[in-house]
Order: sequence, then structure tokens, then C-alpha cells
Amino acid sequence: MKKGLILLFFGLILSIGTSEGQVRTPTGDEKINGLFAGISFKRFTQQIESSTKFRFYFSEEETQSLTVNISAIDNTLNQVLSGIFENTDFVFTIDEKNRVFITKDKKLDLSLPDDFFLPKNDINEQDSIARLSDIERTFSRNKLYVIGSSSTGQEAVLKGRVTGIETGNPIFGAIIFEKINFTRAIANENGEFEIRLPLGRHTIFIQNLGGFVEQRQISIQGDGILDIAIEENVISLSEVVVSSEKMTNISRPEMGVQKLNIQAMKKMPAILGEVDVIRSILTLPGVQTVGEASVGFNVRGGAADQNLILFNHATIYNPSHLFGLFSAFNPDMVESVDLYKAGIPTKYGGRLSSVLDVNAKYGDAEKIRVKGGIGLLTGRLTVEGPIGENTTFIVGGRSTYSDWLLNVLEENTDLNNARASFYDFNFNVSHKINPKNTIRLNSYLSSDSFRFDRDTLFQYQNQSFNLSWVHYFNERLELETVIGRDHYNFGIEGRENPANSFDLGFDIKQHFLKANFTYALDERHKLNFGASTINYRLQPGYISPSGEESIVISEEVNPERALETAFYLGDDFEINDRLSVNYGGRYVIYQYLGPNTERVYEQGQPISSSTLIGERSFGPGETINVYHGPEFRVSGRYILNNVSSIKAGYNTNRQFIHLLTNNSAIAPTDVWKLSDPNIRPQWGDQISIGYYRNLKIDAYEFSVETYHRNMKNLIDFRSGSTLLLNNTIEQDILRTDGRAYGVEILLRKNIGKLNGWVSYTYSRSLLRTAEEETAEKINDGNWYPNNFDQPHNAVLVGNYEWSKRFSTSINANYSTGRPITLPIAKFNYGGSERVFFSDRNEYRIPDYFRLDFSVNIEGNHKIRKLAHSSWSVGVYNLLGRRNPYSVYFTPVNGILQGYQLSIFAQPIPFITYNFRI
Amino acid sequence: MVKRFLYVFVIFLLPFIILVGCRDPFEPDVTTMDLNYLVVEGFIEIDEQESILKLSRTSPLRGEKEGRIESGAVITLISENGESWGFTEKELGTYGLIGTFDPNLTYKINILLLDNQEYESDPLIAKVSPPIQNVDFTRSDDGVNIHVSTQGNDEAVYFLWDYEETWLFRPPFPTAFLFNPATGGIDLRRPEQQVGLCWLENKVNRIVLDNAGRFANNRINQKEIVFIPNLSDKLMTRYSISVRQRAVDKDAFDFWEIMRKNTEDIGGIFSPLPSLISGNINPVNSSATVAIGFVSMGKSSFKRFYINVQDVRPWNVFIPDYLGCRVEPDTIPPPSYVLEFSGPNFTPTVQVVNQMGGIIGYRGTETRCADCTLRGSNVRPDFWED
Repeated sequence: MKKGLILLFFGLILSIGTSEGQVRTPTGDEKINGLFAGISFKRFTQQIESSTKFRFYFSEEETQSLTVNISAIDNTLNQVLSGIFENTDFVFTIDEKNRVFITKDKKLDLSLPDDFFLPKNDINEQDSIARLSDIERTFSRNKLYVIGSSSTGQEAVLKGRVTGIETGNPIFGAIIFEKINFTRAIANENGEFEIRLPLGRHTIFIQNLGGFVEQRQISIQGDGILDIAIEENVISLSEVVVSSEKMTNISRPEMGVQKLNIQAMKKMPAILGEVDVIRSILTLPGVQTVGEASVGFNVRGGAADQNLILFNHATIYNPSHLFGLFSAFNPDMVESVDLYKAGIPTKYGGRLSSVLDVNAKYGDAEKIRVKGGIGLLTGRLTVEGPIGENTTFIVGGRSTYSDWLLNVLEENTDLNNARASFYDFNFNVSHKINPKNTIRLNSYLSSDSFRFDRDTLFQYQNQSFNLSWVHYFNERLELETVIGRDHYNFGIEGRENPANSFDLGFDIKQHFLKANFTYALDERHKLNFGASTINYRLQPGYISPSGEESIVISEEVNPERALETAFYLGDDFEINDRLSVNYGGRYVIYQYLGPNTERVYEQGQPISSSTLIGERSFGPGETINVYHGPEFRVSGRYILNNVSSIKAGYNTNRQFIHLLTNNSAIAPTDVWKLSDPNIRPQWGDQISIGYYRNLKIDAYEFSVETYHRNMKNLIDFRSGSTLLLNNTIEQDILRTDGRAYGVEILLRKNIGKLNGWVSYTYSRSLLRTAEEETAEKINDGNWYPNNFDQPHNAVLVGNYEWSKRFSTSINANYSTGRPITLPIAKFNYGGSERVFFSDRNEYRIPDYFRLDFSVNIEGNHKIRKLAHSSWSVGVYNLLGRRNPYSVYFTPVNGILQGYQLSIFAQPIPFITYNFRI
Repeated sequence: MVKRFLYVFVIFLLPFIILVGCRDPFEPDVTTMDLNYLVVEGFIEIDEQESILKLSRTSPLRGEKEGRIESGAVITLISENGESWGFTEKELGTYGLIGTFDPNLTYKINILLLDNQEYESDPLIAKVSPPIQNVDFTRSDDGVNIHVSTQGNDEAVYFLWDYEETWLFRPPFPTAFLFNPATGGIDLRRPEQQVGLCWLENKVNRIVLDNAGRFANNRINQKEIVFIPNLSDKLMTRYSISVRQRAVDKDAFDFWEIMRKNTEDIGGIFSPLPSLISGNINPVNSSATVAIGFVSMGKSSFKRFYINVQDVRPWNVFIPDYLGCRVEPDTIPPPSYVLEFSGPNFTPTVQVVNQMGGIIGYRGTETRCADCTLRGSNVRPDFWED
């Protein structure tokens, strides 16, 4: 795109590099402003004439088929007309008197430049035409598709999905139109479109930015579906994606939503050569982590257990491999990632801070494809494609072969018998039963196991599968029903000697059922409503002897059961073109179920073993207690002008499942616990406001969001509490209030050779022992920083495309060191030397700074070749800075000596080979 | 169990992380900061036993090894009806008081320091400890465990134990001889000069604590309080331990428990967050800095227990102090006595006689290998029973 051309393509997004109006003579520099959407050319000229000195001369007959879809802000007429006439035969000439002559093929009378008669198809296009082996294509262009069964109405709705012939990727922003009434629709990020047409014969045209027009002959007799594969212009695809996203940045009513597609993630330097979903979202403002190899991430001052991580409906309790070195999502399976930091849609609930929705693919509809990658530590392979006409599948696996690394390093360490391995496996199928019904199967399995010696094996697994059924009642009402099961378990097998061999572990099972309706009430209201229920079964911890000789005493924390049910209703209400509101609510009912024993404590007294006054036993399925309450979700958007908008939102959430952790680092022994009569559900609200603006012809996208959160019934622990295998954990818990606030600033450059973003986040996350908690007051009942309170965080992600096949990326990350409680004095007491600690989290570990660099080399772009390949080479932590992961003190020769532990203390080079067949 | 797991985890995960990671010294500014907080330690005995309070100060983490003593303070015990008793400073920083106090009253302690800073305790309620039921030991492959058993009751649930150990030991080459500087000859030692058998005591000990409420009938059975590893000289001949048992309230118990965890559990990256410790001594006016310490009040019970080496045989002893001890092969003839034995480091130990029974001289050894008073005391403690 030319600089200075301020065009917001709404409708006809026209190809680059075809004829442009050439104007030799100087013309009035009057600027054109306004949105000209879907109007006839005649009407367009009338509007221009009414506001400017320009006068148009043209043939009405010739221009009848021309529709104008353009938005101009301070453009010259020259630019506007160039936009309109791109890809058409029309040319224009503007003379000194501001007369505008529209002609076909030939310019009016002004002398023409030698190169005016550009070939209608540029080289690129000719090339791709030549590539078409086109019998099939011509066939589908001219074949008559009969859509739907005859219905009585006047009009019918055609739905479908536009995908690329070669890649199978959805074409985001493709325009579907017919030329009689100029009805049109735009494909969304999944390539899906919906167009309402009168019954009868139509020729519909499908256009993609930079591609040429594809067409289909249809006879529409009722509501139906037509999926269309079109030639995609590989080169300009990313621009389509980005330009459409920036539109949504300003216009979507929800706020605090971040979207990353897999293409953007692939450009970031990845540790150990893996595209990593979790690491990618860590570059977004408002998302932080306590350490490099930690399992969780923190969103807007929320704890790691306050994030709902969904992988195609499945809840993932541990999203990482090797305790945080890799994330548990196979990048080839991932389509896109949505992170909701605020403005959480009503259909999601159950966590306080955020929803990370990882969307997996269902496979290519056109042909079988194979993708894969080979890195230093991991390898992966994905196969996808159609089975018959209505079914697509994708199956992917990933595994590590890191044992060799451990073997190499063995000489220098004591890890003679160390083994670390993981794998994950996905299998997704989508089957279209008929145009109104689609069923989808999602299954996911990930497994980790490692041992550092022969005797102790650690392992954990995520297993999820679910079945969803999408049903279209009519063009306005759609239902998605999902039923599924998620299972997470962690275990340790200790086999040091027969006498104390043990098995230790915990697990979580949940069964869920969701029904989600979307209903387009009218043009202004889009309703979303439904219900969901989750049946939890937790085994919060057990230890059992292994083998006959073992003298380990079997111990088990009472298993827990609960039912969490929610009903919700949300409305997307477009009040007018500028103001839109998204409001709704959920009502959540949580039942803690037997069999279990409820411990009753004296009212008004701190919960402790001395105030325990009784126990009550409940049988299977009996309700022990119920928590219920509403949650509110409101957000609104007001468009200030074409390039900026403001948004505000308020939401509340409840959380019934808690991760018990009191370590400075996240340890695998952290267990999950359900709310029970003594541990209340967490509650949180968030108020946020933001300003969004696109700059320099949308080349830049700028946003500021600020938020404030209150949280109640968070869990902190009393001094010296034991968390594992503790059957009376409520005696060790301190009810704690939380507060978080901050500002997130993001400046993003979407187009051009240099693209990427800079973000700065200021955020605080504070805790305070609840006033009504009398057992113990941390820091005298004052606010104290959370373990992951890192006020300043700045991220730079930059990508420079030297050519279409060669690009370099850089990623810089700075954050304040996280808080820590330090020993600050020593004294003698009880016959030993003791240390005196500062207030909780009074000090901080040193600041964190890391710079990564990578080079991505694409193979050539010949579409018909055996395999497309790419290389990713780079260095993680280029500066080799020793960022502390943890700080601890240990006595050396009787004097306490502090140490900081760094995980990736040296530059780590990586190389990965990726291929696609 | 949990601890074992964490241990396993730390031991084995850390090297893995360290494959690419590393460990560097960490010196935050605060390690040199001097808080100089008051530390109060002690227990008020209500029944004729001596109550001892020790006052000291915190020192910087990397500061001097010796604790700082707080001397010159005026400590007063005040009952709820206004009666008061003053402590006397027995030695620097150690204050004592003997008296009988009514266990039905509440008391408080007032501490006025030399610099006029004033501290006061929360109200103290006396707790009477039930008698110690039993002290016994078990022999294991690694050494000897000494246990205490007690019967708690509704009043006394949380227990603290500390103890004093005393034991007899012998040097490797005990001697019956002594150089007499007056005569220049070698005399036989008189009984009060014997250095072949000494008592050694160990008062610096850890606190052991437990909660009787955890057990059926509040009975604590065989709580381990001391472990004597193999080769220890404590069991060379005869060993005695005096166990003191105190009953305290929940707050005091928590204080000690946090103290223990803060000291013993730090050091691993997966260790729990340390907890702030303060206690029940508060500054009277807010300008003063905080004080650390928990003073409890009550009646302790004591029990003394003996173990003889015969009970644990075989028991080999290795005393590092006596490494390298030997009797020199050269016989020192009488003319050389003054030259060889008049110094402090060489002592006659073996008499060399000729075939007629005449003394031709003495072989000597380093004094440290013959004189047990260099490690212990040859004065028999009052309580000692043979």
C-alpha cells in the first residue's frame, strides 16, 4: 500500500498492483472525507459533487455495475478513485478545472504514460493462473450448485466457509457478493460467512484481497451451506489477517481481549525452537509470569489458578510440559488463541482472572496434508484432511527425545539415570451430517514423566475428550451442545527401597455438559444464552504403600465432589452505529456433595483444631452445602470516529476450585481443592476502561486500558502450614482480600516490512488478610504484595521481513523482580541461631531482562512441490543475562549466604526444521 | 513424608535446571542492615524454681558471630493486683528471679532498658505441666534415640521440652602422674588432681515441641528429643539427661513452631514462604522498635535419666579432639624432667621401670591427650548418681 493512502477497506478490497489512475496535471488538493458503503457510482459522484468543486463526466450505463465501498479520511480524489477503479476497466482523468472524466479502458485526452497499459494481471497473478490445473476449477466455477430444499419464503440464507485451496486456511476478510442487488458478506476469522439472498439463480463472487475473483453458480431454494475454496494469495494473506484485526480492535464491543493467530506466534523467537502458545501470550500486556520455567501465568494481578484454559472446550489444568519448559499445545494443532482479560463472555465462568481459549483445528477440507517439525528436543507430526465429502479430521502428535541431551550431560552431573519424556496427542474430527447439523469430536492427551534417579518417577497427565453438536434451527438460531470429560492427575512413584516404597498423587476429574445458543434477534440484538454444568470429582491427595514389604502407612484426603451449574444470558446490542453494548449475566449454583464429612467450627472463632466442635457425615450425592450467586458482565463501546473508540466494562466472577500453593516457586505438589463449607468460593470484580486508536492509515494500532480489581476469599496460608495430604486444610488457610490495578499500553505496527509491538504494563497486585479473619494477620493486616506482583513490565516484539522468505525477529522482555521475604537479622534463641524475616514480600529479587533473537527462513513458494519447508534458527537469552528465578539462603560455615538461581543463564541456541506436505 | 518428597524434588530437579541454569551469590542490601531488635527469651517459674530471662539483640545477617547481650535492664514481674517483683542481673544479659506466684492470677513483665526504651508482655497465664511420665531410649543402627512420654490433659496440650545433657568421658591416655615444679620430680596425683575422668555438659540445645491434642487421650508417646549418633563420646561410660517439660498455650506453641520452621526449613527453592515472627513482648510507646520473643509462665516438670555404656554395647567412640594422640616412645630420664614436663603441653603418662622395679623415667604424651579437664570438668556435679 502506498503511504499517504488512507483507505479503510470495508467492502470491495481490491487487489494491489493493478492499474492506478495516473494524473499528470496538478489537481485541486481538496480532501475527501466520508464513508461510501455499497452505493452506486452515480450516487457517489453526487455526494462528492455536493461537497466539493469536482464535477464528474461519465456514462451512467457503463458504470451501472460499479459499486463503491470505500471510506476516505483526508484523501485526495485521486486516491479515492484509484481505490474504486482498481481491477476495473475504468480509468479517470482530472483536469485543471476539477473536471473528472471517467472512461473505459482509455484515458480521455491527457497524454498517457508509456507504462499506462499495465497488464491486467500482473506477473504474480499470471503465474498463479498458469499454475492452475484447471479443469476442476473451471468446473466448479460453472457448475450449478443447488442450495437448500425448497422453502416458502422469499429469501434464504446461505452460509459457508471460505478456505484457501492450497493451505486450507480460512480466508479472513474474503468478500462474498452478487452483482444484481449487490448484497455482500465478509468472511470472519474462521472464513465463515453468511449472506441473505432472494430465492433463485445467482452468480456469487468471492474475492480475497490480492487474489482474483472466484465465482459460483447457485440456485438457492432454501437455507443452506456452500463451502468455497479459493486461490489465496500467499503473499498478502497476513495483511488481510492483520487489517481485519485492527478493525475489530476499534469496533468490537468487548475489551481486554487479545487475539494471537498462529502466524504471529511463529514469528516470535521461541525457546528451544518450539512455537509456544503460553510464551506467546506472555508477550501481551497484562500477562506475566513469576519465572521462566513456571507452570502458570498471571493475568492482571490474578493468581495462576484464576485462569481458565480451554482447548476446544476441554479445561486444561496443567498447560505445560517438563514443569514449564514447553507449553502443552502442539503448535500445528492450534488455529488461534483468544485471551480474555476483561469482558469475559457470559458463556465462560468459573475463574476470576482470565479465559485463555485455544482453538484447535478440525482439519483441511480439500486434501490430505502433513505437517511436522524437528527440533533439538522435540519432534512433531500432524496429518489432516477430508474423509469423504462431509468429514474432516486432524491428528497430531508431539514427543520429546531429550534423553540424549541428558546422556550427553551425564558426565558432568549426577544424573546417571535421569530420564525426562513427554508427549501429547490430539485427534479432532468434524462431520457435517447435513447442512443444519455438524458434530465434532475433540480429544487430547498429554503425558509427562521423568525421573532423576532410578528410584523416583514423577508423572502427570491431561486427558480430555468431548463431543460437540452444532445445530442450526434457522438462519437466526444456532445451538452448540458439548459433552465431555477432563482428567488431570499427578503422581510420584517412590521406589528407593522396598520398605518405604510409595505412590503419592492427586487427581481431578470433571464431566461437563454445555448448551450454548446464539440467536440473532434482529439487526441490533444478538443474544447468547445457555447453561453449563460441571461435575467435579477430586482426589486431593493420597499416599499408599507399594509392594508387600512397604511399611508406608496409607493415607488419603477425603475425595471431594461438587456440581457447578450456571445459566447465562448475554446480549450484543448495537444501539446505533457508534454505541454498542454487550451486557449479560450468569447465575451460578455450586453444590458441595457427599460422601464427605463436614467439620463444624465454633462461630466467630478462628478455624483451628481447638474450635472444632463437631463433624457431620454425608452420604453419596447428598448436598453438604450450596453457594450461589449472580455474575455480571457489561461492556460498551463508543466509536469516536473512524480511527478511535473508547470502551468500558465491568464484570464479576466466582471461582469454586482453588490451587493450594505456598511456595515461592510453583511446585508440582500444589494440589487443587474445591470450595467446601469452610472454604468459601473466591469472588472478584473488575472495572476497566480503555481508549483505542489507529494511527497512520492503520499502520499503527494504539491502545490504553486501565483496570481495577477487587477480590475476596482468596487463600493465603497461616505460618507453617502443611498443604499436602492435609485433611483439615481449612485450619491452615487465611481468608484474604485481594486488590489489583494497572495500566496497559500497547503500540502495534501491523503492516510493512517492520512489524511487531511494544507494550508497557504497570500493574500491582496486593493482598490483605481479611478483616474478619482472626487467626493470624499477615503483615499486621496491612496490604502486602502478592508473590507475583511485578509493577513494571515492558515487552518489545519486532519482526523484520528482509524478503518474503527471510525474516528476523527480536523479542525483549523486562519486568520488575518479583517480591520476596528476606531474612534480615539473626539472633540466638532456644539454643540455636535463628533468622528474623522481613515483612511478607517486603523485598524484591533483581529485575528481569531477556533478549531473544531468531531468523525464519521459508522455503520457496512454489505451490506445487512436494514439501514446503522452513527453518527457524535463533538464540534464547541472547545476552546470557542471569535472571534470577529464585533466591534462597543457606548457611555456609555458619554464616547465612544468599544465592540466586538462574534457569536459562546462558544464551541458548536453537534450530527447528518445519515442513508441510 | 511431604518433606521427603520435597527433598527428592529439590535434589533431583535442581540439577536438571542447573544443566542450563546456574547459582550465583545474592547479596541484597538488607543483609548488612542492622535492625538491632530486642530479643527476650525466658520462662517464669511459679513454684520456687529460678525464672531466667535473657535479653539480647539481633545482629546483621553477616555480622558478628557472637550474640549481642542487653545488659543493665530493669525487669519487673507485675501481678494483676499490682504486686511486683524485680529480677536481678545474674550475669551480663541474664536476669533471674526466684519466687512463688499464684497460678490463678495473670501477670505481665515490664522491661525498662538502659536507653529508657520500655517493653511490656501480653498478660501471662500460668500453665502447670503434668509430670513427665517416662524418659527412655532405643538403640538403632545409627545410634541412640532418647524419647519422652507424657500424659497431657485439657489444660496442658502444647508441650515444649528442652534438656541438659551431662556425661562422663576419659581421655585416651589418662595419667596418674604429675610434674611437681617445686621438686622437679614426678608425683602421683591426689584424688582432687585426677584428670582421667571428667564430666562434660551440653546446655545449648534445640527445643522440641509437640501437640498432645493430635493423639488419643492427649497422650504423647515416645517423642524423640535427642539423637546420639554412633561414635559419640556421650555414651563412653555414663550419660545423664535432665528433661524439662513445659506446658504452654497455643500462641506460644505457634511461636516456637514458626521459629523452628523458619530455621530448619529454609534453604530450598520449594521451601514454604518464611513467616514473620514476633511474640508477646511489645514496645510500650510506639517509637520503640519491635521485640522478638515469647515469654511463658508456669510450672515445669523435670525428669533425669541415665544411660550406661553397658546398656548400649557395643559402642565405639571417636573424639575428634583426640585425633593424633599417642604416647611418645622415648623414655624421659629424670634429668630431663624439667626440660620436658615443666611446659603445659607435655605430660608424663607411663612409668618406665627396669627389671629390678626401679623407675628409670616416664614416657609422655601431649597434655590434651591425658588431661580431661581441658575438655570438661573433673568436679562431680551435685546431681550425679553413679
